[in-house]
Amino acid sequence: MGKWRQHVSKWMMQNLELPADVVMDLPRITMIGQLHIYIENHRGVKAFSNEQLTLKLKQGALVIKGKEFVIKTILPEEILLEGTISSVDFEND
Amino acid sequence: MKSKWNNNLKGYVRVEIIGQDSSSFINACMESGIQIWDIQPLSNDRILVSVSIADIRKAKRILKEKKLKIRIKEKIGTPFLLMRMWKRNGFILGMISFIFLLFLLSNMIWNINVTGANPKTEYELRKAAVELGITKGKFIFLLPNVREIQRELTEKMKNVTWIGVTQHGTQYRFEVVEKEIPKAKPISGPRHLVATKEAVIHSLFVEKGQPVITINDYVQKGSLLVSGYIGKEKKPELVSAKGKILGEVWYQTQVEVPLNTSFQTYTGKCKNRHYVTLFGMNLPIFGFSDGEFQDKTETLNETPLYLAKWKMPISYLKKEIRETDGIKRSYTKTEAIEVGKEMAKKELLKKLPEDAKIKGEKVWQQNVSNGKVKLTMLYQVIENIASEQPIPIQQGE
Repeated sequence: MGKWRQHVSKWMMQNLELPADVVMDLPRITMIGQLHIYIENHRGVKAFSNEQLTLKLKQGALVIKGKEFVIKTILPEEILLEGTISSVDFEND
Repeated sequence: MKSKWNNNLKGYVRVEIIGQDSSSFINACMESGIQIWDIQPLSNDRILVSVSIADIRKAKRILKEKKLKIRIKEKIGTPFLLMRMWKRNGFILGMISFIFLLFLLSNMIWNINVTGANPKTEYELRKAAVELGITKGKFIFLLPNVREIQRELTEKMKNVTWIGVTQHGTQYRFEVVEKEIPKAKPISGPRHLVATKEAVIHSLFVEKGQPVITINDYVQKGSLLVSGYIGKEKKPELVSAKGKILGEVWYQTQVEVPLNTSFQTYTGKCKNRHYVTLFGMNLPIFGFSDGEFQDKTETLNETPLYLAKWKMPISYLKKEIRETDGIKRSYTKTEAIEVGKEMAKKELLKKLPEDAKIKGEKVWQQNVSNGKVKLTMLYQVIENIASEQPIPIQQGE
């Protein structure tokens, strides 16, 4: 069932020109150089330290690594992180 | 940025959260709608978080559930600033009371100056001023204004011509111009008596001198009445002529009496309104109705307040509203003539010396035109017409 729905949304995205983040509940990530990272559509914080922030996603997790992390704002589905970002990784489980 | 200002206004705390599972606290806050921001990890088991004071209770409940510890690090925002200021309330109270005191003192009378008066008048003036309430230590805004003080003082003081009242800050200055009553110079030198106006001699009483006229003589203005030369023609002697010469003088006066006049009188009904004027705006503080008078006159009385020597933009304004009554007066022709005669007589008496007597009166001309009665009156008056004229002493004889 879930797989079928995923297929439909993928088809809709490709053929109806709808934005992927809306249709498929994917995170939308905006970065300003290394200074800021802005993530929408997350599902909560898994772990947070000075050098690493792990965010839950609908599928899998997002691992952001860097230095001197500060969460500037956190709202349901929105997060603004400040610091020196060195990498953004997706983890699929 | 807007939310930052908002947070500052409402006040927030920086708290340290101690415990292993701090990220679950962040998630729990997010879910229950508690705003947290500026999350900064300090070490493995400690994070620094900002929470608004409105949400701190809810946050504490969550922390209790998660078995996390909390420590308040910093208090930021206006509520805390006000609280800190309140702790120094003595200082603020002192400042306010100082300004208040300065304000009160600069609206008090500290000095009363009188210039141009001799000690007796000055004493009387000061006494009169005290009666009006002008003493040291009185509040200026409770006193009548300068114009009124000037009017009342001028009325009270009999031996002064004019009193100028000025107010310089906390000082009242009275400038006094005293009446100078000229002393009558006794003329003792040789003199004649001459006529002051055209008249027919009515009676004469000569104490000294040689009268040159008799009763019923007609005299011109300036003609000799009593000569200062007495004795024989060849060897005249000079004296100071003295006497009373009563002459019959004719006066002509013209008066006009309108048949219909309308004028206004006060009915005695009066309403007061009080305002505080702030930057030119009038804010009513007491008395809210205009009295609903049909006809009225308004007078404004403004008292400015001072702080030290500066005039404040705030002042006290009193508005007096008096009801007036329009009255129409109309005369018939005979009434108008009567009134006109009365008026003419009054006007004449003003011009005459005190000892003059009106012997007879006559209506010379009367006509009514343009709603007015025009009267020309003729009066026979008996008055002293003698005035002294010194005789120049001829030298070298």
